[in-house]
Amino acid sequence: MRLLVVEDDKDLAGQLRRALSDAGYAVDLAGDGEEGHFLGDTEPYDAVILDLGLPILDGITVLRRWREDGRNMPVLILTARDRWSDKVSGIDAGADDYLGKPFHMEEMLARMRALLRRTAGHASNEIQCGALRLDIAAAKVSLDGRLVNLTALEFRLLSYLMHHQGKVISRTELVEHLYEQDFDKDSNTIEVFIGRLRRKTKADLIETVRGLGYRLTVADEV
Amino acid sequence: MNLGKDSLRLRLIAVAALWCAVALVAAWALLSALFADQVRLGFDENLSAQLAGVIAASDWNDGAAPSLRRPLPDPRFQQPLSGWYWQISSAGEPVLRSRSLWDGALPRPGEGHSDSGTYFRDITGPNGVLMRLAARELTITDIKGADIEGLFLFQLAGDPSAGASDIARFDRLLAVALVVLGLGLIGAMVLQVQIGLRPLARIGRALADIRAGRADRLPGTFPSEIQPLADEIDNLLGHQAAVINRARTHAGDLAHALKTPLAVLANEAANEANNDDGALAAQVRHSVVEMQRQVDRHLARSRTAAAAGVLGARCEIAPVLSDLARVLNLLHRDSGVTIFVDDGTPLVFAGEREDLQEMLGNLMENACQWAASVVRVGLARRADQIILSIDDDGPGLPPERRGEVLARGVRLDESKPGTGLGLAIVADMADLYGGSLSLHEAEIGGLSARLELPLAEAI
Repeated sequence: MRLLVVEDDKDLAGQLRRALSDAGYAVDLAGDGEEGHFLGDTEPYDAVILDLGLPILDGITVLRRWREDGRNMPVLILTARDRWSDKVSGIDAGADDYLGKPFHMEEMLARMRALLRRTAGHASNEIQCGALRLDIAAAKVSLDGRLVNLTALEFRLLSYLMHHQGKVISRTELVEHLYEQDFDKDSNTIEVFIGRLRRKTKADLIETVRGLGYRLTVADEV
Repeated sequence: MNLGKDSLRLRLIAVAALWCAVALVAAWALLSALFADQVRLGFDENLSAQLAGVIAASDWNDGAAPSLRRPLPDPRFQQPLSGWYWQISSAGEPVLRSRSLWDGALPRPGEGHSDSGTYFRDITGPNGVLMRLAARELTITDIKGADIEGLFLFQLAGDPSAGASDIARFDRLLAVALVVLGLGLIGAMVLQVQIGLRPLARIGRALADIRAGRADRLPGTFPSEIQPLADEIDNLLGHQAAVINRARTHAGDLAHALKTPLAVLANEAANEANNDDGALAAQVRHSVVEMQRQVDRHLARSRTAAAAGVLGARCEIAPVLSDLARVLNLLHRDSGVTIFVDDGTPLVFAGEREDLQEMLGNLMENACQWAASVVRVGLARRADQIILSIDDDGPGLPPERRGEVLARGVRLDESKPGTGLGLAIVADMADLYGGSLSLHEAEIGGLSARLELPLAEAI
């Protein structure tokens, strides 16, 4: 899962990046509205955390432009402007959630998890695929009740596949949603990670769809 | 009409009345003197004419003593002591006199005059009354049958008291006429002052309207003498509004600027708390929460205090309710709580939309956090009050704790998000608008927050 954080306060942006990375997300930062708008417009983020009081271009305008251009990723507004009139205009501009500053990091993370799983169409914080179980809140994966030990990138990859289980996902899409912006992206490494995940989980869960990509499915739904 | 000691109106009217009285008394004196003079002149002319009659009728045919060729037409000269007399004297001794003089004589009027003409004197007559005397000296020559040639004094006296009563009557009539005129003038003066000062009263009323929040500027134009004052007042009002607005914006900016560093501090403290035992972190965290409460409370207060009652603000309630319900249904979509609002009643709140949103938003969000499945918002009118009730089907709040929540913004359950200030802020804001917030038990089981606000008008 790859997120965009648009926040002009460097300290807070750093804290958000740390907390979100610890929770298993790839995080890109933008320090002003213009850069934020550009990144959101060109990169396929799974969700955005958007401040409203931004330099160059304010958050509401950024959000409105994304929505007008058909960018439908979930957006969590995180702002000091938390009067109800601000909330109404934020939600009306197309935000999916609204959190006022100061905030508890845990609450922000919980809201983010809820946004992501709701977008993927899951009702609870646990996503299951056969014997494989993803606990979103704890950022843990277990197989037949036993904890599976995963690196950050492996977790990210598996989490993305589980959020979108049943769908064929191309390597490019995986790369775009796993790595941060300034990471040296090499789609060949995906193959390596898939191999490792197959070893650590049940090999038949991740299916290779030749020429198209990968699909997480319960192979034999008997 | 207020006529206090310092009334401008009283001053204008008093000065005008004084001036009017002085002018009218002076006019009375002048006119009365002129009339008296005129009456005296007329009387003197009459005397002079009568005297000419005596001279013309006098005859010296019988020798040295003169006689009258014919009696004078005025019968008063025949009537004894009638007040009208004539006398002809020679060398200081009367030689002929009217019968009315009886055995008296007219006094000699001072030193002699030549033939220069008729002259007049005030004298005391035979019966002691003041009389007017006309006299003329003539040298009579060429008298037939008598070798007489000499200086004769012709005198004629009349009683001027009839003229005096004319003058008194004239004075009385004049006085009445002038008093009537004076009253008319004072009445006109009062009217003039009333009309002249009316724009000042209009400014007073307009300022009262501004203070009551029914207007924000002095309406229309005023007379050119007052317009500069009205313009200055308008400028002052504009300046004041700008200053208030600036202060409000600054307060808001300061509060918002504080929130991001507070978020950073709170997050750092949270990290520290995870790393070690974190007594300091706990303290920092506690302080951050306290600072945030203060910021929120004073931000809300400053905005509302500036807005409440300043301008004739008004806002329809139903659209605000449906906006908030839409937003809250979205924000709480995972909680299984549904919000129902009564947005069919067309009522208008006498205040700012943002403040209404803030009050209702806080109350509805609070209800959503505690509700099991339903939040109901009711809207009703009682006299000139709007009554909004926000009910939930949650656990409710025991009566003894309700006052506590409203007074200090105590957060009763630390597990629920929020700073716990929501209800206290709403109570503050409602109070500034002259309304109130009270907590009751809801019919559907949980807490019912009742918000009473001033009604602007029904649509």
